[in-house]
Amino acid sequence: MKSPEQRDLFPGALEMMILRTLKRQPLHGYALAQHIKRTSNDLLQIEEGSLYPALQRLLKEELVKAEWGISSTNRRVRIYKLTAAGAKHLQQEVSRFEKMLDGITRVLAPGES
Amino acid sequence: MSWLRRIFFRRHLYNDLSDEIREHLEERIEELAAGGMSRKEASYTARREFGNVTLVEEDSRAVWRWPSIENFFMDVRYGLRMLRKNAGFTAVAVITLALGISANTTIFSVVNGVLLRPLPYRDPSRLVVVSLFNQKTQEIFPLCDADFLDWRAQNQVFSDVAAFSGTTFNITGSGLPEQVRGGVVTGEFFSTLGVMPVLGRTFLASEDRPGSAPMAVLSYNLWQNRYGADPSVIGHAIVLNGSSTTVIGVMPPRFLPTAETQLWTNLVVKPPTFRGPYYLSGEARLKPGATIEQARGELAAIARRIEQQNPATNSNMSFRVTPLEEAIVGDVRPALLVLLGAVAFVLLIASANVANLLLARATVREREIAIRTALGASRARLMGQLLTESLLLAVIGGVLGLLFAKWGVKLLSELGPSNLPRLEEIAIDGRVLAFTFLISFASGIFFGIVPAFPSGRSDLNKSLKESGRSAEEGQGRGRARSVLVVAEIALSLVLLVGGGLMLKSFLRLQAVSPGVNPKNALTMQITLPRFQYHGDSQVISFYQHLLEKVQILPGVESAGVGMSLPPNLLEVTDYFTVEGQAAVSERMLGLADLVFASPNYFQALGVPLLKGRLFSAADRADAAKVAIINLTLARHYWPNENPIGKRLRTGGPERPNNPWMEVVGVVGDINYSGLDAAPEMVLYEPYQQAAWSSMYLVVRTSSKLDNPATLASAVQNAVWSLDKDLPVAHIRTMEQLLSESVEQPRFRTVLLEIFALIAVSLATVGIYGVLAYSVSQRRHEIGIRMAIGARRSDVLWLVVGQGMLLTFIGVAIGVTGAFVLTRFLSTLLYEVRPTDPATFVVVPLLLAGVALLACYIPAWRAMRVDPMVSLRHE
Repeated sequence: MKSPEQRDLFPGALEMMILRTLKRQPLHGYALAQHIKRTSNDLLQIEEGSLYPALQRLLKEELVKAEWGISSTNRRVRIYKLTAAGAKHLQQEVSRFEKMLDGITRVLAPGES
Repeated sequence: MSWLRRIFFRRHLYNDLSDEIREHLEERIEELAAGGMSRKEASYTARREFGNVTLVEEDSRAVWRWPSIENFFMDVRYGLRMLRKNAGFTAVAVITLALGISANTTIFSVVNGVLLRPLPYRDPSRLVVVSLFNQKTQEIFPLCDADFLDWRAQNQVFSDVAAFSGTTFNITGSGLPEQVRGGVVTGEFFSTLGVMPVLGRTFLASEDRPGSAPMAVLSYNLWQNRYGADPSVIGHAIVLNGSSTTVIGVMPPRFLPTAETQLWTNLVVKPPTFRGPYYLSGEARLKPGATIEQARGELAAIARRIEQQNPATNSNMSFRVTPLEEAIVGDVRPALLVLLGAVAFVLLIASANVANLLLARATVREREIAIRTALGASRARLMGQLLTESLLLAVIGGVLGLLFAKWGVKLLSELGPSNLPRLEEIAIDGRVLAFTFLISFASGIFFGIVPAFPSGRSDLNKSLKESGRSAEEGQGRGRARSVLVVAEIALSLVLLVGGGLMLKSFLRLQAVSPGVNPKNALTMQITLPRFQYHGDSQVISFYQHLLEKVQILPGVESAGVGMSLPPNLLEVTDYFTVEGQAAVSERMLGLADLVFASPNYFQALGVPLLKGRLFSAADRADAAKVAIINLTLARHYWPNENPIGKRLRTGGPERPNNPWMEVVGVVGDINYSGLDAAPEMVLYEPYQQAAWSSMYLVVRTSSKLDNPATLASAVQNAVWSLDKDLPVAHIRTMEQLLSESVEQPRFRTVLLEIFALIAVSLATVGIYGVLAYSVSQRRHEIGIRMAIGARRSDVLWLVVGQGMLLTFIGVAIGVTGAFVLTRFLSTLLYEVRPTDPATFVVVPLLLAGVALLACYIPAWRAMRVDPMVSLRHE
């Protein structure tokens, strides 16, 4: 089954953004969604819901861990934290992504025609 | 977290997830509400931003799963629930399938046991059977001792060579006297087959040479039944045909393809003085690397040498080399393959019917499917679910079919023709199970894929909007149903034509006059042991006394003895020479069925005397030699002359001392080689001039007796009053003999008729179902038609016309198919051509008639549609 994030982003992009965000600070799902939305300036059309399957995948691979807690607004929330494996994975993914982006940029760059 | 723990703690994970998503929405709603939105509006906005909650939850849960397998199990659970909810539909579909699958499994288990399983011998593909055959007439004969010795000595292609002949043995001594079928075999018989005994040993190669002691190898059955599986029987002497014979071994069960043969003795081959009698079958194993073609070439060369040395007996004679497997099952292969084809058709029709049922239901389920699509189910997922449901049906049908088949196989091995080779080996084994599984699966895919496709394309909006009322049937689906019905009719027509041809052939076969009066005749076989009755005079006097005793029994009208019995119990054939015509036919001696008979043999059988006289008590050994011939022989040698008073003798120039016999009578033709055989020449000699120890007793009973078999024990007692150790075998009425002789044709005819009937019933149900459904769908249209003035007969024709159009297309395709396919029946048909015009006219008409009936019921219902009711129904 095709998921929305696979249609709009390349596979793994959403996970990468989640890991990057969690590296700064542990967050719960809603805050995570809002943060990604806000920082991307709403450029990425992401349904908030699509975050959850991605979070489950990260949980399964033990790149993040989750704990129930109480938020600053006094809500019962499930807070996600980056694990050591997650940090390492993020690093690899980012460098891979940068290489790819570099490649794409070179091809797309105008000039020497 | 290990994967195992994950599976067990998944429920917990899922709950967390649901809580989390609920909290997420809640938080968003509160935030939006705080920004001034109404709570209702905030809730909408939050959900829109979030996306499809169910789908997100499902996708998230899917992360923890093994999706393809778990979806499958989910589909199975759901499918089972659906099937349980629609019990009526499920029952009809499952029973239809079970019928088709059980028929296929049963017939396949026969094909498997008889044709596919290798014979229980070492390297069975290297084994061949050798017989004589006349290159000119294509007739096949057994070998004589001389043929066997020449062939054994001169060949280079065989590693082992043996010969055998069937015979009967009287077992006396311990227990009741018993007559059993057995074989006399040369020394290498068992080693050629490469089968070891379960007990003791088999014959040595040297034990067919003159001077060898008589020895016996028992079959497993005989050892179990008569000797109580006692291993100490090895080395002991038993009395066979009055002579003491040492038991040396016991063979494993199912060693021979028919269960009839109970024991084997060593055949002592003496160097012969002339060629004949012809009674042996040759058996040999090809040397490694040798091919059957080489064997054929070499034996042909040997046959040519024999022919040059013996022109009188062996002109045109060659050896025929057949693979053993072919010799054993070659005759039944075409019939079994035809039956297998027939049941495949039955299964196709059954599957088409189930597909039709599913199509009808798919229309009803359109809404359910639309809702599932709206909830985010992909087309592949829906197809998978529908296919799972079909496969479930197929599996349940397969399991039930297997149960039916178990019963069918039991029935077949009990009721099947006893002369069907390897009948005992028919069973449901691994291969049959695999076959059943395969056909169930294939039919599940077949009938599942047809209805699953249109639903994949269904228009979501339309289906959802048509709330409550069932959707109009889509064009594609309607066409699919019509195609299925046409196919069903075509397939069942092919089967019905095949069944019609077989039935016609069988009726013709049964209508063949056996040349005897089958009513009120009782027969049995008596074999006098050579050692007790060693002289001809003893044999003759025994039968004389027996006939005197039987003749005076109350209820007996006449009693006679003869060597062979119609319709297919021919024991001996021999060459003969006609006086004065011998020179003309020196290179082609006459060959006749040779029957030694008592005077009343003809009366007891009811064979008409056409010319001259029958034998009399005066035709004694010391009187002038006489003979009676049948009409065919008379016509062949004396077409324009009176044969009475002419002379002939058995044998050719190699037996110049055989006495001339005077023809004293001509009798009507009798079949001795089966009802379907061409008339053969028959030569009768009086039993007092030509003694034979094994005779059939024929008793014509009074017509007042309901069943001639009631006399059996009285006749048996008469035999035992002369010799208490004499077994009486093969007690049958003539009607039974006639019926047994057509056992195999009857068997395959009955089976094919059953399959054709199932096929036609299924196809009829198919037509009925399609029309009934179409009428219920068109109720509204019919109402309008009637409201604007259509007469009831118009409506009738509207529906009947639709049904008959499908029928005619199906019949047209079926007739073409039958025309092509019935040629495979040609070897099974007796005096009926595979394209028999009458069958090809009557059967389609019959089928069309049945189809018309099936159309009429829904049409009648359509006719009674009340326009007011059906319009208001909208």
